[in-house]
Amino acid sequence: MKKRIFGSILAVSVTVLAASLVLTVGVLHGYFQDRILAELIRSTAYIAQGVEEGGLAYLNSGLPGDSRITWVAADGTVLYDNWEDPADMENHAQRQEIREALTLGKGTAARYSDTLSQKTVYYALRLSDGSVLRSSDTQYAVWVMVLQVLQPVALMALLAALLALWLSGRVARQLVEPINAIDLNDPDADSAYEELAPLLSRIRGQSRQIQRQLLDLQQRRDEFAAITENMSEGLILIDQETRILSCNSAALRLLAADGPAVEGESVLTLNREAGFRRCVEESLAGRPWEALLERDDDCRRIMASPVERDGSPAGAVLIVLDVTEKERRDRLRREFTANVSHELKTPLTSILGTAEILENGLVRPQDISHFAGNIHREAQRLIDLVNDIIKLSRLDEGGHMAQWETVDLYALAGAVESQLAAAAESKQVTMTLEGGPAQVRGVPQILEEILYNLCDNAVAYNRPGGSVTVTVSAGAAEVQVQVRDTGMGIPPDARQRVFERFCRVDKSHSTPGTGLGLSIVKHGAAYLGGRVKLESEVGVGSTFTLIFPAAPENT
Amino acid sequence: MRNTFNEQLERLHVELIQMGAACEDAISSAAEALLKNDQTLARRAEEAERELDRQEREVENLCLKLLLQQQPVARDLREISAALKMISDLERIGDQAADIAELTRYVQVPQSGAPHIREMAEAVTAMVTDSVSSFVRWDLDLARAVYRADDRVDALFDQVKQELIALIAADASNGEQGLELMMVAKYLERIGDHATNVAEWVEYSITGVHPSGN
Repeated sequence: MKKRIFGSILAVSVTVLAASLVLTVGVLHGYFQDRILAELIRSTAYIAQGVEEGGLAYLNSGLPGDSRITWVAADGTVLYDNWEDPADMENHAQRQEIREALTLGKGTAARYSDTLSQKTVYYALRLSDGSVLRSSDTQYAVWVMVLQVLQPVALMALLAALLALWLSGRVARQLVEPINAIDLNDPDADSAYEELAPLLSRIRGQSRQIQRQLLDLQQRRDEFAAITENMSEGLILIDQETRILSCNSAALRLLAADGPAVEGESVLTLNREAGFRRCVEESLAGRPWEALLERDDDCRRIMASPVERDGSPAGAVLIVLDVTEKERRDRLRREFTANVSHELKTPLTSILGTAEILENGLVRPQDISHFAGNIHREAQRLIDLVNDIIKLSRLDEGGHMAQWETVDLYALAGAVESQLAAAAESKQVTMTLEGGPAQVRGVPQILEEILYNLCDNAVAYNRPGGSVTVTVSAGAAEVQVQVRDTGMGIPPDARQRVFERFCRVDKSHSTPGTGLGLSIVKHGAAYLGGRVKLESEVGVGSTFTLIFPAAPENT
Repeated sequence: MRNTFNEQLERLHVELIQMGAACEDAISSAAEALLKNDQTLARRAEEAERELDRQEREVENLCLKLLLQQQPVARDLREISAALKMISDLERIGDQAADIAELTRYVQVPQSGAPHIREMAEAVTAMVTDSVSSFVRWDLDLARAVYRADDRVDALFDQVKQELIALIAADASNGEQGLELMMVAKYLERIGDHATNVAEWVEYSITGVHPSGN
């Protein structure tokens, strides 16, 4: 802008300067011409008087001034010329000024010389005898005059231009200064030129609007961040160059990234496992992809979906889920199915084999009862197993079982003990019941099942001559039943697994059982709102503690 | 112009990460193939090696293009020249991982007799992971931790050597097994050296001084 103003001012001043120069020269030239003509008229009239009186002799006696004087007769013949020999000169009758003088009494004409650098002005006057006296004077042409004054004029023009340069620079600066001084962040409409006021107030309005929108955007961003931060799933947005656009802390935690996520960095700085890389690659190529990342005991599912904008891939959304628990349950379920089929098949194979032998009559009559007993035992095992599975699946499904009642665990434990008395006696295990009445709310069948399973195990896995102690104690809020045995104990690494289905610490299966007992205990207790604790020492014995919330009447 | 340059630099970094990750895959697959005698993993290590060869050429092209077209200076120049050096180390790691994977067809780590080769394989895998992580995050401390780990790997190598000598001395029929395991140990030791080189180049591109001292 400053440049432009400067340029314009300079151009205007130079143009004005040039124009005034041309005008001045034009005016001066006209003035000079008039002056010359007036002079010519004056001197011609004077000489004419002399010629009228003295004739040719006057002319030959010497003339004042340096003008060219020509005397032409009425027929155009040159009678006298003070510059050239009249004999050499042609007839002048056709010259414009002569013709005019002959007809009108006086005539003027101006002619340029051959080189155009000079202009000759003629004035002719008719004398009383009809002859014409002409005088002429030369004058330089306008451009020669200009050329002659060029040097001083150029010097002047240069000075003027310099002045214009300086002045226009200064003026331009002064003009622009208030505009430069405007604070664009908060323009004050009154501070500069009034012509700018509408623009400034517009800018001011817009800058306020931008501020508001920025604030709005920031707020929305914060909200988005707050929402994603509270997600338990990891969420990562990336662009086509794998740069992170957004990443929540759950994603960092689930991907076990060592550093914080830097927006704009590649997402591969967070994790570079093959599965993860594949997800990023495929989703950026426009194909949704899923992968499972397994690290130690953790299991993560990555779901990557491409994001499209105007039909072309623009990035991807990655969702990271913690599926450790789900994978574990799936594994358990698979194992369970495999185990169930195996456990069901074993007795069936045995029954089938025995039945075949009997069918083919390969058994001596006295042995038939032994074989039948075998079939009976295996069938019983099958039924036990199926019963246990049914109980478990009922617990799994929850609800719909028998009514909830207030149950005295002490009485229930006594009943269980008497059921197991025979088995205990055959294993030479003494059973004792300690404590006192303790009421809980629960389903009697399930509670009995739990206690029975625990006591049954305590007897079955005991050593001959060992003991099983059941202690029922009622606290203010909780009721505890402790079943302590003096059996083989459970090694530490198996303590978690014993509650899993079909888990048998004793791999040889020398002790009868379905492997589902403790699983039923655990699920049953959980169903009734209680829990099981296990303490054990190998070779010394195990203590299972059932903890139930006390019945409301008890408190 | 500068913008294109930055984008290309970023791409270089991402490609280096991918190459590093492929390298980690190769060594960890090879190490697991060795320890678990799993042929699927061995094949994976060999695949990763081929992938690494391809990536090396790609990154090399990118580096040369950057050097010629953008004429980088200062840190950018260091980063690119370090990348050029790093990729050859990464590629070598891949080659040696593939060599180990191939050896797993003929050799099994004995249950007893050479307990330290297992430890060595694990230590070397961790070294490669750390060296890759150090340039992923430009982490100087992690890079320096890699040099220290290399001392341990070298010590483990000596130990493994002694164990293998003892193994052969105890029973001459172990000779072939022992020699193959010696090769594996040597490869592991070399991989450790390459991981150290990578870490050194990371330090160079961060500080401008190569730790080898010249």
